[in-house]
Formats: sequence, structure tokens, C-alpha cells
Amino acid sequence: MTSSNSSQSAGPAVQIENLDKYYGTFHALRKVSLTVQRGEKIVICGPSGSGKSTMIRCINRLEQHNGGRITVLGTELNDDVGNIDGIRREVGMVFQHFNLFPHMTVLDNCMLSPMIVRKQPRAEAEATARRYLEKVRIPEQAMKFPGQLSGGQQQRVAIARALCMQPQIMLFDEPTSALDPEMISEVLDVMVTLASEGMTMICVTHEMGFARRVADRVIFMDGGEIVEQAPPEEFFAASRNERTRQFLSQVLGH
Amino acid sequence: MEMVVVAPPAPGRLEDLRRRFFATPLQALLSLVSLAIMLFLGWKLLNWAVFSAVFTTSGGPEACQAAAGACWSVIAARWRIILFGLYPFDEQWRSALACVTVVVMTVLSCIPAFWTGRRIALVWGTGAALYYVLMKGGVLGLAHVGEEAWGGLALTLFIFVTTCLIGFPLAICLALLRRSDLPWISRTTGLIIDGVRSLPLISILFTFAIVLPFALPQWLQGDKLYRVILGSALFFSAYQAEIVRGGMQGVPAGQEEAAMALGMSYWQRIGRILLPQAMRNALPATINQFVISFKETSLVVIVGFFEILASGNAAYGTGEWRFAYVEVYAFIAMIYFVFVFSLSRYGAFLERRMSVGER
Repeated sequence: MTSSNSSQSAGPAVQIENLDKYYGTFHALRKVSLTVQRGEKIVICGPSGSGKSTMIRCINRLEQHNGGRITVLGTELNDDVGNIDGIRREVGMVFQHFNLFPHMTVLDNCMLSPMIVRKQPRAEAEATARRYLEKVRIPEQAMKFPGQLSGGQQQRVAIARALCMQPQIMLFDEPTSALDPEMISEVLDVMVTLASEGMTMICVTHEMGFARRVADRVIFMDGGEIVEQAPPEEFFAASRNERTRQFLSQVLGH
Repeated sequence: MEMVVVAPPAPGRLEDLRRRFFATPLQALLSLVSLAIMLFLGWKLLNWAVFSAVFTTSGGPEACQAAAGACWSVIAARWRIILFGLYPFDEQWRSALACVTVVVMTVLSCIPAFWTGRRIALVWGTGAALYYVLMKGGVLGLAHVGEEAWGGLALTLFIFVTTCLIGFPLAICLALLRRSDLPWISRTTGLIIDGVRSLPLISILFTFAIVLPFALPQWLQGDKLYRVILGSALFFSAYQAEIVRGGMQGVPAGQEEAAMALGMSYWQRIGRILLPQAMRNALPATINQFVISFKETSLVVIVGFFEILASGNAAYGTGEWRFAYVEVYAFIAMIYFVFVFSLSRYGAFLERRMSVGER
């Protein structure tokens, strides 16, 4: 698949080279390398503790890596706070537990960061927020507080909130794992729409149906390493690795 | 066919009373005995406080001693000492106005409409200036009155409000420093907080009032009153810092991560995300701390200030009214109650207001 916004500048969206990450003595990521092109959709799966969340959390520096290089949109992530803030403005993230700000309305959740980080005027921020709430199909909930919404609605607000910063890359960290089964599809539908519009997406998820539909590449991680990566048809039909096959049989087997 | 389920009718007031208090003969007996005791005590109190009490000063202390009830004439005769302490008699209207200033200032800053930086600053700026000019004088034709002569309610309110004003921001700073990523900062702050908390307030007041002048150069000393307020603010902030820290621990880590992922800076995350939620968690304990601090102002008598309780002691302690101390303390207790109770009610109002949208 070719990316629709490759005209902006050349170079990959995210380039990870020989990434190492330790928690104390635990080696969470072992020399991981991954390149994500602009407009590409990546699905990362793997057993818990395999390092998949850690890896995408390194991309916007929620975790600090201990070795290797990460370059996001041409900027290398290092201790330079200016670089980190600049990258976070361009990289949106959606969390497993939504992490909406409970003391603000849905609209304020969406407007806060564009106003105080991007210094947008209030009217502009509100128009953007309402547009994205429309896009995730909950414009009528704008004045409610997060606690008054269902899990699926909260996650869609979280997606809208991230989009309001108009990021170039979106990270999804198990966005449907905390949801009741009947709410999963409403969130996935929004993500599919987003994918069809050419957003660069890196999703940690076990929703294999979603992977089949939108992923350009599916990545399987285990023990802090990327074990296998392939386009979805190939990945599901003919995984070469034993661990991948075992994992897939567990995820798809029931 | 639809089944209509009707809730049983709520019991009438009489029926409710019967069920709660007269369900069995023993319960009925206990209820009646309790009622009789309460009526008896209530009647005794009312009789003492109102029916047999002396209200006017015309008869002097002798009329009081002859009567069976309360001697409120001591209040009528000595209320100015209780409220204004040693403040010069002819200038006491200034002290009264200063009290009103503090109360108005506090009430204004409790109203949500004033919760913007500029308005709060305006309220406190003018309020503080007005209070200082009124109490201290020396300008605008007002006679100069030194801090050592300030006393009574005006002093109590001043110490309480300034303690909170200085102590609260300090507490937030300490709480933030204590959760710093740099161990030498968080440990040092922890040491300071625990150090201050392990000392009695009296010893801190004593140190700031009496010992500090030996250690500081003349120009840094300031008046004893301000040193005492600083000491009391430090003590307040050590406790409040732990309350704020507790509130911060109640905010899930995901909140700060979400703010980071949205590109917010450290201060934006603290100011917009962490503190508002932490303060909501910490509100009940915070109100508690305010109430305790209000009552602890009475300890400044140890370093020679006549706040309201000490002024009350002085009011009955001189000769003729020596017997009427119960009435004086009842009067002071009432004043404390008015302030502390309003504080608690305000806390309850804030809790209701903040619980909007809570899960």
C-alpha cells in the first residue's frame, strides 16, 4: 500500500534500530529493529510480557529506552526535552484504559491540549473538537463528563482527543482490551475509518479480524523480540515460526 | 398482560416513629426514659442560659451573683476586650473593620466566580493592604498601632488566614518536590516534612519567636508576629503537603501519561491534570486541616500574643468578673463554632460541586 501523505517529506515515519530496554535487570526489549513507513498500518501482537506495549510506549517516550536509536518523523528521540515535546505533538496515543480526564467534559478533554500546547484559539479548538467527535459518532455527548459514558464511548472520545492534536502518527495500546464485547466493534469501526484515510497507525491488539482488514504488516513479538513479520494474508495462512503458530492457535482457536 | 408492581406505600410519620422507637415494650421504655433525660437537661440549660440569666450590666457583678442563671453581663461589659484584646480602646473600630475585611475577603474567594488568577489576586491584594493599613495605621491620619498591641478576634483571623495563605502554596511545592524523580530532592523534602511533623507546634512557635532573632541578622528578623506566622505556616504546610501527596497518589498514573502523550509540559500536566484531581481527592482531609489550624491559633499565647482565647482569659481574669468564666468561654466557643462550622459547610459544598461527573 502506498501512503497518501508521503509528499510532506521523505523518510520513514518511525525508525527503530537495535532498541534495548531494561526494567531493573529484566530485559524487556532485545535489540528490536522496526521501520514504519508513512501511511503504513502495523498491527503488533504477542503474548503478555512480550514487550509490545513497551515498544510503542518508547516511540513517544512514555518509556525511556536504554540502548539503540528511535527516529520519529526524522527527529531522533534523546534526552532533548524539545525533541520529546515536538514528537509528542505529532504522535497521538490511545490507551487501554482510555485515560480521559475525569474532571473535564468530553469537549474540554478534546480542546485542552490543542489550546494549551498548540496555542489554538478557543473557537478553532472547539470547531476541531466537534468535528472529530462527529467523526467518532458521539457529537451529542460533548457536554457530558467521561464518567457518564460507556467504555466504548469513552474510548471513541479518547481517539477524538488524540486526533484533535492533528497528529501524523497514531499509537494504539490495546484499545479494546478493557471493553465489554458488545462495545469492541464500535471502536474498531472508528479505527478502520481512520486507517482508510491514510493515517500512519501502530496498533497493539489481539483483534485479528481488524489485523486482516487494515494491516499492511502484522508483527509477532515474544520475549522482547520481533519473532516474525509479514503481510496479514501470509501471516495468518503460513506463519513460519512455531511460537507464532502456537500463539495464533490460542487467539483464533475458540 | 402486564404485571404492575407497586412499591409498598411509605409509612406515615407516626407509623415511622412507632416502628423506630416503640417496636417492643423494652424499646418503648428506653425511648421514654431517654426522652425524659433529654427534656430535663434541655430545660436546665435553657433555664440557666435564658430564663434565670442576667443580661444587663446595670446591676454589676453583684446582680449576677444573686441570680441563679448565667451572667451574660460579663459579655456586655467586656466584649471589646474579648474581640479586640489590647488594641487601643478608641481605635477598636479599626480592628472591627479589619475583621470584616478578612471575613469578606475569605467569603469572596470562596465563591467560584472569583476563581481566576486575576480576581483572586485582586481580592487578596486589596484585602491584605486594607487589613494592614487598618490595623497598623501610621498613614491617612490613622494612629500607629504596633503588632504587639494587636489582639482578640482580629489577631486570630489574621494568623489563621496568613498561615493558610503562605502554608497552602508551600504545601503544594513540598508535595511536588517529594515526588520528584531525583532522589536527593525527594529525600531531602521528605526529611524536612517529617522533621517538622515530628516537632510539637509550640516548640516551633517558640523557636521562631524567641530563638530565631539570635540566629538572624537584624534586617531579616521582621516583627515577632510575622516570624510566628511563618512558623505556623511551615507547620501547616508539612501536614498539608502529606495530604496533597495522598491526593496525588489517588490519581491514576494513566492520567499523567495521557497528558504527556498529548504533548503537555510538566507545569501544564501538574496544573491542569494532576492538581485538580489530587485536590478533589484531598478535599475532606484538607478541610480537616484548616479546622485544626484555626483552633491551633490559640497556641500563640505561648509567645505573648493575645488572640481571642487569651483575650477571653483577660476579660474575666481581672477582679470583679472572676466568677463568670463559664459565660466567657461559652461566648468564645460560639465564635469558634461559627467560623469552624461555616468552614465545614463550605467543604461540603465544594465536595458536592466537585463530584460533578464522578464515576
